[in-house]
Amino acid sequence: MDPLSFFLVLLKDSALGLGGLGSLPMLRQDLVATGLATDAQLVQALAIGRLSTGPSGLWIVSLGYQMAGPAGAAMALVASSLPPLVILPATAVARRWLLSVPFAGLVRGAALATAGLLSATGVSLVVPPGDVPSWWQVLVGILAAALTYQGRLHPAAVIIGGALLGLLLAA
Amino acid sequence: MRELAKIFIAVGTQSVGGGASTLFLLRRLLVEQRQLISERAFNEAWALCQLSPGIHLVALAGLLGQRIAGWRGVLVAVSGMMVPAAIITALMTAAYGVIADHPLAEAALAGMAPATGGMTIGLAIVLVRGAKRHGPRAIVDVALVAVAFGILLFTTVSSIMVIVGAAALGALFLGRERPTSPEGATD
Repeated sequence: MDPLSFFLVLLKDSALGLGGLGSLPMLRQDLVATGLATDAQLVQALAIGRLSTGPSGLWIVSLGYQMAGPAGAAMALVASSLPPLVILPATAVARRWLLSVPFAGLVRGAALATAGLLSATGVSLVVPPGDVPSWWQVLVGILAAALTYQGRLHPAAVIIGGALLGLLLAA
Repeated sequence: MRELAKIFIAVGTQSVGGGASTLFLLRRLLVEQRQLISERAFNEAWALCQLSPGIHLVALAGLLGQRIAGWRGVLVAVSGMMVPAAIITALMTAAYGVIADHPLAEAALAGMAPATGGMTIGLAIVLVRGAKRHGPRAIVDVALVAVAFGILLFTTVSSIMVIVGAAALGALFLGRERPTSPEGATD
């Protein structure tokens, strides 16, 4: 994929996702399903995004780096930083519309769909299509979902816990 | 302006894991310690950033930077929070790349994959908790989540079509209550 096309994919998927992980299902379809990236790269990017500093949405920078080196990281940084800034002119010229009932519904619809897409992506990371995970991997997935929902344990601790269990049980 | 840059660089380099920890640090530095913005203005910016596409914390940094120092403030706040954090992320990725093919790294990845998958599911549930309406209307909202889930798992329909379709449906039928997003799910 040429750099411009790669940047446009990152920009489009960042612009259509809600939240730091919102672009994950779309990027997986655009990059993994087409063979340009692998699920392993995606998982590494998500894990590093959680272990690194700043917004966890920066996992896309890790993915960009894995796919195209420092230039890919820079493209991912710009592509993920620009779409949220749409809120600045929007609040300046259409604040009343942003607070209207139809717009609230639009955001709710997009958020609910994003949640459904994220759930499906999460399930297919725990149980990859065509692959049978070990019992402990399924258990790690369930535990990680419960701990994340509960919100008491730091996300980095969940990732590190998963890695340690992998070292204990898969090495 | 230098003070603003220092604050956002500190947020970008000292908050680990994003979400709540980044938000907590932003609030502590800007509202409580330096008092560059009022609690009310901070909360208003947080509510507005939930309406933005992409990473909500970037929208929040932009809104706060604009409020404090105009358009130059936007540039300083967003680049201060994002650029150093992106460099750290890229360096961590490069470091991991050196050991990625080692059997121990592959074993760790075998545990990290279901952990990240599970965390994604957990975040999705938190997102539903914040976005769904109350009472019987919640059934419609959860059904929409289930449809999106099924479409991605069992069809080849584009995720973008799902998002755009759900947003259109939402604008027409789901706008009775203002949506709210929990802090941890929207970074």
